[in-house]
Formats: sequence, C-alpha cells, structure tokens
Amino acid sequence: MTNETISVDQLSGWLTRFNDLVTEQVSYLTELDSAIGDADHGSNMTRGMSAVVEKIQASPAGTVDELFTGAGMTLVTSVGGASGPLYGTFFLRIGATAGPVGTLDAPGLASALRAGLGGVVARGKAEVGDKTMFDVLAPALDAFDAALAGSSDIPSAARAAYSAAQTGRDATQALLARKGRASYLGERSIGHIDPGAASTSLLFQALAETLGKE
Amino acid sequence: MIGIAVVSHSPRLAQAAVDLALEMVGDGGPAIAIAAGAGEGVTGTDAFKVAEAITEVSSPEGVLVMMDLGSAVMSAEMALEFLADSEVPVKLTSAPFVEGLMAAVVRAAGGASLDDVEREARGALHAKRTHLDDDEQPEPSFDVGPVAEHAMEVTLRNPHGLHARPVSMLVKAISAFEATVTVANIRSGGPPVPANSPTALLGVGARQGDTISIAAAGRQAREALEAVGELVRGGFGEVETTPPPGTASEQSAARPDARPSKEALSSGPLGVSPGLAVGPIVRMPDQLEEPVDAPELSEQERSEAVGRIEAASAFVAGALMDKAGRVSGPAAREILEATALMATDPGLIGDACARVTDKGQTPERAVWAAVGDIAVVFREHGGLLAARVADLHDVRNRIVAELLGRPAPGLPDRTEPYVLVARDLAPADTALIDPAVCRAIVTVEGGPTSHTAILARALGLPAVVAARHALEIRAGSVVIVDGTTGVIVVDPTDEQVVQAEQESSRVTMFDGTGRTKDGQRVQLLANVASPDSVAEAIKAKAEGVGLFRTEFCFLDQEEAPGIEEQVRAYRRVFAAFPGRKVIIRTLDAGADKPLAFVSEVNEVNPALGIRGYRTAWRRPELLDTQLQAIAMAAAAETADVGVMAPMIATVEESIAFAARCFEHGLRSVGVMIETPAAAITAGDILQTVDFASLGTNDLAQYTMAADRLMGELALLNDPWQPAVLRMIREVSRAGIATGKPVGVCGEAAADPLLAAILVGLGVTSLSMSPRALGGVAKLLSSVTAQQCRDAAASVVAASSSSMARAAAVALLAPGQLA
Repeated sequence: MTNETISVDQLSGWLTRFNDLVTEQVSYLTELDSAIGDADHGSNMTRGMSAVVEKIQASPAGTVDELFTGAGMTLVTSVGGASGPLYGTFFLRIGATAGPVGTLDAPGLASALRAGLGGVVARGKAEVGDKTMFDVLAPALDAFDAALAGSSDIPSAARAAYSAAQTGRDATQALLARKGRASYLGERSIGHIDPGAASTSLLFQALAETLGKE
Repeated sequence: MIGIAVVSHSPRLAQAAVDLALEMVGDGGPAIAIAAGAGEGVTGTDAFKVAEAITEVSSPEGVLVMMDLGSAVMSAEMALEFLADSEVPVKLTSAPFVEGLMAAVVRAAGGASLDDVEREARGALHAKRTHLDDDEQPEPSFDVGPVAEHAMEVTLRNPHGLHARPVSMLVKAISAFEATVTVANIRSGGPPVPANSPTALLGVGARQGDTISIAAAGRQAREALEAVGELVRGGFGEVETTPPPGTASEQSAARPDARPSKEALSSGPLGVSPGLAVGPIVRMPDQLEEPVDAPELSEQERSEAVGRIEAASAFVAGALMDKAGRVSGPAAREILEATALMATDPGLIGDACARVTDKGQTPERAVWAAVGDIAVVFREHGGLLAARVADLHDVRNRIVAELLGRPAPGLPDRTEPYVLVARDLAPADTALIDPAVCRAIVTVEGGPTSHTAILARALGLPAVVAARHALEIRAGSVVIVDGTTGVIVVDPTDEQVVQAEQESSRVTMFDGTGRTKDGQRVQLLANVASPDSVAEAIKAKAEGVGLFRTEFCFLDQEEAPGIEEQVRAYRRVFAAFPGRKVIIRTLDAGADKPLAFVSEVNEVNPALGIRGYRTAWRRPELLDTQLQAIAMAAAAETADVGVMAPMIATVEESIAFAARCFEHGLRSVGVMIETPAAAITAGDILQTVDFASLGTNDLAQYTMAADRLMGELALLNDPWQPAVLRMIREVSRAGIATGKPVGVCGEAAADPLLAAILVGLGVTSLSMSPRALGGVAKLLSSVTAQQCRDAAASVVAASSSSMARAAAVALLAPGQLA
C-alpha cells in the first residue's frame, strides 16, 4: 500500500478520457453489438459519456461524490439501453461510497470501485461467465486490489486492472450469453466479444492512461 | 384504485398498448402514466422518468409497474430505489406487456387490490395459451437439474410438516454437499422442486404423515440424501425420538390420530416470548375446589379440628410474614403483611372455629364458609374493601391447602432457578414472578396476547403457551424451553444444555436509531407502565415512549388520585425523555383491568363493556382532571408529549376527545385503534386527530371474536391472522392517505418478524417492552424497506396465520429459525 491519493480532478480526467475512448471506438462497439444485440451500444455510450463530460466542463465537481453522482444520474437519463442503469448504478455507488471528499487514497478508491461492482451485480444480477460487463469488471478489480496489496502505487494498480480487463474482455468471446438481448441468440452468441465487456475494458484503459500521464 | 405505470423502450409501443387496454374500460379506468424512451427520440428507458410516472399515478392503494424488456426492468428497479422513502406500495410485475396491461387495467378499474391486479396480469397469457393448446406448464416450474441418481421416500414425523423452520434446516443441510437435491410430495402428486429453494419447498405443502420422495444427483448425492433422511427421521428436532419413561414430550401433542379439524385449532405449543432457558420443572399447584359437605364431626373430633384450624392459620400467617421479609418493593411487602394479618384475624378464625364446634363442620369447610360470609360483607362495602376480596380468597386457599396437606397455592416459593409449569396464570400470580429464579414459563392455557405472554415478554422470560401436555411432564425433570419456536425438550442431553445456555447468554443491543437495512427510519419506542420502569427503557436506548400507561396511578385506589399526584408521576416519565417523543394514554380501565370507581362489577361481557375511553361517559371529570394533569406536566418538561385515548369506536368519540384535549391546551392528540370499527373508519378518524396507535392485542381479540385470555383460542387470537393483518393494513393506508403517522404499541410490535411486516404495511413507529427492542432492531436492520413491503404484501394475502408466518420467514429471515 502507498500513501498517495487521487484527486477529484484526476477522476474527472478519467471520465473525460473514457468519453474520448468510447467516441474513438464507437464503430467498433456498435459492430460488436450488431453481431449479438441491437447495434446501439456505441451510440448509447457516446451519447451518455459526452453528456457526462459536458456537465463536468460546465460545472467542475468539487468532491468525488458530486462527480460520480452527477455522472451516474446523467447516464441513467441519457443512455436509454441497459448500459444506462448499469453504468449509472456503478458510478452512483462509487459516489455514495467515496462521499464528499476532494481526494481518495488507494484503499478508498478500491472500496468505492468495489461498491460500484456491487451495484452492477445488484442491478444486472449477472454472474461469472454470463458474458457481460461483469466478466471484465470483476477480474479488473481483483487485479487492482491484488496490486495494491502487493505495495503497488495507484497507477501501477490501474495498469494491472487494465491488463486483467483486456483478458476478461477477450474471454467473453468464447462464452454463451445468458443476460440481456444477446441471450435470445443462445449458441449463436458464442464467438463474439460482448460489447459491454469491451466498453468496460475501455473504462480501465482510460484509468490507466489518465494516471500514467502524471 | 391503484395506479399503473407503463415502462417501455418505445413511446409509440407504450401509447398503443395503453390505448388498446383503455378501450376495455371506457372512462372509469385507472390512472396510467407512461415512461418510455430516453431523451429526444432515443429508444430506451430512463429510471427518472419511471420514478416520475410512478409518482404521477401514485395512490394509497399502490402502483403496478408494467415493463417491456431489458433495461425497462433495470430502470424500474432503479426507480424504486429513488422512491425508497415513499410509503406507497409499488409492485413490478413480470406480466406480459400487452396482455398483462389489458388485464391489469380491467381489474384495477374494478377496484381490485394491488396484489390481485398483479396476479391477474401475470396470468394474462392463460387465454392465449389455452386457445393455442399451449398450456403445458401453467404451474410455476422449477429447474430441477440433472436426472437423479439416488432417491428415497420418507414419511414426515414432525407435527407441522415442512414449515419454515424445517425447510431452512433442510436447505442448510444440503448446501454442505456437492449434490442437486429435489423433493416431491407423493400425497399431493406435485412435481419435484429443488431442495435449495425455501419458497419452492414451502409450496410442496407437505404435512405430518405425508411421504415425500427425495432424489439427488451429483458427486455427493448419497451423502446429501443421508443427511436429509436423518433430518426427516429425527422430526427436524421437533419430535422427541425416545421419550424417557415417565415423561411426556410436548412434541407428541399433535399425534397422528388427532382429527385434522381438532389439530388445526389446537396445534401444539406456541412460543410467545422469545429466548432459551434450561431448568427443572416446578408445577404451579392447582386451584382449590370448594370442599364437599362431609358427615358431622363427633364431639371429640371437634376440639381436635379447632386446634388444626388455629395451627393452620398461624402457619399461613408465619409463611406470609416470612415472605414479606424477603420481597424487595415496599408495596409488595405491605400487601403481604396485610394478608398475613387476615390469616390470623380473630373474627374470621373465631367464626370458622364456631362452625366446627357448633355445627360439626370439617375444618376446611368451616374456613371456606367463614371467608365466604366475610367476602359478601367486603363486596357490599365496595371500594377498597371490595378490592381486598382477592386477598381474602388467597388467605382462605392457603389455610385450606394447609389443612388438606397440599402445597400452598400460588407461585412456588423457591430460591433455586426453575421453569414454571401451570395450567394458567392469573395476573396476580404473574405479577409476583421473580425473573431471577423463574427462568421460563410454560402454560397449558393462554394465548399469544394473554397476561402470561405479555408479562413474560416484559420480564424477558422465554414462555410457551397452549402446551397441552405440559402437566404430564414429571416434576423435577430438566427441560429446555424455546420461547421462539415453542419447542420443549424434556431431559435434554448435556450437549443440548450447554448449547442452550450459550445461546441464551447472547444478548442483542439496540443502538438507539431504528432503521431498515437501506436506512428507512422506523422509530423504536418503549412501552412504559409506571415511572419506575423508565430506567429500563432508557437503558434499552428506546427513542422515546410510544405507550405510557397511566393505570398505575389509579390501581389499588379507592378514588382517583388528585391532580398534583398525577402531575408528579407524569413528570417523572416526561423528564426522562427530554426533547423526545412520549405518548401518554389516558386511563384504560375495565375488562381485565377493573377499577372499583369506574367499572361496573357485574358486567356480563366485560371486554365488550364500559372500558377504555367509555369510562369517561360515567366519570367525565376524571378524564378532565387527567388531561389537565398531563398538560401541566408536559408544560413543565421538554418531552414532545402526545396524548391518546384507548378503545375508540366512533369518529364522534375521536372528535370529542380531541376537543377536550384542545381545551386543556394539549396540541398533539391521537387515538388508539383497537376495535374493528375504528380500523374500518380510520380514514375518517385520522382526519380528526394528529396520529393513531394500533393496539394489536385488542384489535386481534375483537376482529377474531376470540377472548385474549383463553388458551384454546390462542391460534385465533393471533396477530398473524390475515384478517387482523388486513385490519392493520386498512389503518396504515388511512395513515398514508391522510399523511398522519400510525404506530403500533401492541405486542405485535415486539415480534421481530411481525415488526418488519408492520413496517412494510406502512407503520411509522413501533412501541414495545424495552427488552424486545434489541431483537426487533436487529431484524429490521437486516432487511430493506422494499423487502418489508414485499413480505407484507405476501403475508396479507396469505390464507392462514401459519402461512402468513411462513411467508414472512421465507422472505425476511430464511435460515434464521434453524
């Protein structure tokens, strides 16, 4: 464990970077979703995250809960698809757990992310291997916690999380979808990466890159 | 009428479905709001829009939420979280969108309840299925996993079959094995259900004597089967496998040969005060019968008989003085000393001796008759003297028992711990129980709201009532009494004793803020019966007082106490809760609490007579004096004082009471809802006052027309009876509709499971014996408000009190009772 902290500005940077990535990858996400869903994940995430970034730029958040509560609420109203309540709950729980603070230390960030994961599970009721964002989020947070426990700093832990996220994302290709619209496809969902898993991997890429810059 | 919120990805789809449904009902349809689409022209759902739609159509009867697919469901669930503070019941249904909406609109227009509308909507595919010959599985079907490799059939031995507790034991037992287990009821011929699902198991409806088939697959299938078989054969611990000779086990109460109708009414012992206790049995001596006429005594016998009367009276007086020296309170000591004096009263003993000398009566008959004559005189005098008749009879019983060589009636005089077993306990007996030596109470008669139950809960003593075979247990046998489940284990093993002792030493504390797991506040208050019991309420961290009974001021008095005395007494309680809520109840005399100066002595039906607020008809000045005393005491302290009247039956009474309180400057006025009349008109009553408090003991008694004090009626006189729960629901709904708080101060609030149900029904505060606060707070903090609401909906819809309780266990505390 380390004594360093992460500021609300860095966390805002994380969300801004996440918006950049989903915007860059919009056609990739849509392509994944057209294979096993309704071809709107790219546009939904872009619409939602750009609304989040607009809000951050218009009135920068002073505390961590303000930032993530605002982001969560915005996603809930602007995304439309299942990612709205799922990502929305993820961010809302992070905000509620972190509370009105200006910075988070490593354990604080870890427990807030963990609470976010708990929210996603409560909302989507997904389990390991259902071919959902859970299959990225859970291993990424495990790697993040393990890295911190092994005395890594937050940027290294974020890189470890991103690496686990990529592995998790790729592993969804072989899985049979058991949740969401893709589950209607049954066996035919095998062979495609889950779009939610892909966007979640981008979330950790954004975190690793934002912290790596400084 | 309930409201309906329609959640869809597409505004056009939602609007079309709503139009189609409304064609069925014309103008009189329910309020419907649509939450469809996310933002401008985006296909999808928005949790905020859903929350707005629910709020828009919310009514006290509730809101049904119809959803199409995917994010609609998640957004609706999220909306419920946003609305967590709302009191309006909301139900999300898995009903098919178009057919379900149509069915729901039609049923709602007819005024059906939320539960009924939801059920109808969920079954809406029935017509289409039947038409297409597609109804292969109308019953809910379960995924029962791989084909079984091992199977066996066993017969259920325990009295109530697969009810909540055995079900949770079974689920827990198989969870230890790598195996998929299913259970099917051979009698009913129902399909196998997974044994890891408590609700599915409860649905099997397996009763005592039913043979169930258990099948298992997987690596440890055989081991799992063995474990289940052992549980079933052992009667889930509810049947004594080998009752020692000379003892009677309570679990044999429901014998297979008992007729079902009889069993339904008298099924087994009822735990009425939670906790575990271990101790040897001491039997409360039976009441004395009037001695029969005997042949005249001979002259010689007469002088010897006179000597026996004098000896017996001296013995009884000595024993009473002895006891007076040992009791703690001065009040109890004075009563005992006065009774001792009566035992040697020269008038009484002289009269008895004269009957022996002059008429040749037996000593016991002479004492009985002599006391009878004096009692008549006492009664004619009325007032204080009349109130002493009970003591006179106590003296008579003691002397006669001594003369007959029988144990003294009344509570056993012991200094070593024991478990009290009695046919029934009179209030006078129960009041003398010393919890330091009496570890638990078991009675043959008595119900959940009897004096025994109430007092046991107040003392924190485990108690079991309606234990029909308790008197057959050999005196001196050690027993374990489980006041939660009603199970009595006779002659337990050392291991069982150690376990029970460990369990009973665990105490749950309350931290002073009642809330559900998700943070919904529920005020947890204490019932206080006198200024002396305030300390206990403070120690238990009660948030305030939900029921301050004022009878203590009036008991044992020839006339009502003066205003100064009342002010002093009330201030002591108010002062203990500065700035906190204290609800004081005006005098509640009559029925089982008669007071010489307000009660009619010879009412045929005291429970339906002049009692509660009705005593103010006879003595209006008593109520005025009391209200004035309350106002003065409240003005002198900072407690947030509310005042309420007991036994209100009409809106007029409520208006009259509120007006009198206002005259005395009391600003927070409420009434107790204890009669079905008040429950049904709660909406109108609440318009006239600031709050209501449900007295569930009397409400159960009057709703079920079942005397609270009769053991045989214990199962009718149960707050879990669906009829009672529906009464409570009516009142909560009225509270929600009028925005007035509704609390519960009956014994129902002290039952943790029932407390959660009451919260689910919309009750805002619970008041109970201070000792119950810990257990109630603990259970409440383990469940969400939504869980409470869901459980309340199931419980209210249950077909019997046992089904209601089972549903509550399954939904709120699965596994906790194992």
